[in-house]
Amino acid sequence: MAQQEWRLLLTGDMSAFDNMALDEAVLRCVVAGASPSTLRFYGWKPSAVSIGYFQGIEQEVDLDVCREQGVDVIRRLTGGGAVFHEHGSEITYSLAVKDDYPGIPKKVLDSYTLLCGGLVVGFRRLGLDAAFKPINDILVNGKKISGNAQTRRFGGILQHGTLLCDVNLQLMFSLLKVPSEKIRDKLIAGVEERVTSIRREIGMADNDVVIQAMVAGFAEVLDIRLSPGTVSDEELALLERVKEERYANPTWNFKR
Amino acid sequence: MPIQPGISNADVRFGDYKAIGGKLLRVRMTVTADNSPVIQTLRITGDFFMHPEEAIEDLEQLLTGAPLDETALRERVQTFFAGDVQVVGADVSDFVTALLKAV
Repeated sequence: MAQQEWRLLLTGDMSAFDNMALDEAVLRCVVAGASPSTLRFYGWKPSAVSIGYFQGIEQEVDLDVCREQGVDVIRRLTGGGAVFHEHGSEITYSLAVKDDYPGIPKKVLDSYTLLCGGLVVGFRRLGLDAAFKPINDILVNGKKISGNAQTRRFGGILQHGTLLCDVNLQLMFSLLKVPSEKIRDKLIAGVEERVTSIRREIGMADNDVVIQAMVAGFAEVLDIRLSPGTVSDEELALLERVKEERYANPTWNFKR
Repeated sequence: MPIQPGISNADVRFGDYKAIGGKLLRVRMTVTADNSPVIQTLRITGDFFMHPEEAIEDLEQLLTGAPLDETALRERVQTFFAGDVQVVGADVSDFVTALLKAV
């Protein structure tokens, strides 16, 4: 089979609401055949906490502290845990493809293995000894450097995830609820042992270098060519619609 | 001790359970106040995965009205898992254990 050509979208920093709405808009257009299979990289401005589809917003997030710190809070279309997307300290990627795309396993767990494999190759190109840890994490030297989440809907697969370039656990744990204040410091010390970042491992985390490494990783494991593209007018229109219906809507964000 | 018929003497209960795979299941339920209590309202939250995601509401619905014993809860969770749903990061026993923690 001839090598498939995918679109590479580099959309830079956007708000949480635009970011999550664009992921859904792209997925819908890919499924409809209006857009090619897409790999996108982006950042969050302002910083935001995203929670998994099934999480209780008030159970997981200290909304008062987020408000004070100017941090947005949003519910994702995907399951999984809460993520702090600190502006300038992490890169998010998303991948949208039809669910019958050749070579992508029907079983969710198997497809994480394949798609996270692209990131593993990318991290290795950066000189990091990365490995996939089921269900949805990537570890370097036994510490988490990337968390990933997937949904399958509308006839497509959307997987997005975070690549930690830097990490500020004090700030992160002031935004997230912890079981009790007494154990906050102990919890942070524990997480310090279990989480790392690209900067901590190799002393640098240049966005362009990281993104290029990941692009090469996905190209290798999916046997695809990636060509830079732009967001279509149809996707932009859809972004506005789903942002209003879902991501910027308290009914969605507070549904659990 | 039901006192006022028609008024729910609901009792809110919570249970958290970390599944073997590392995913957290959090249960919040209210239970009817009578001699053979059943689940009145139920909310299951956490960092697990379920495809399609909306199926969580079917599971909550299916468990509403269930008596608070392991056999009955397991039977209903099993029925749900046997349907057209992929749950990742937690299995039938994990959900049952989380429910029993709230009971």
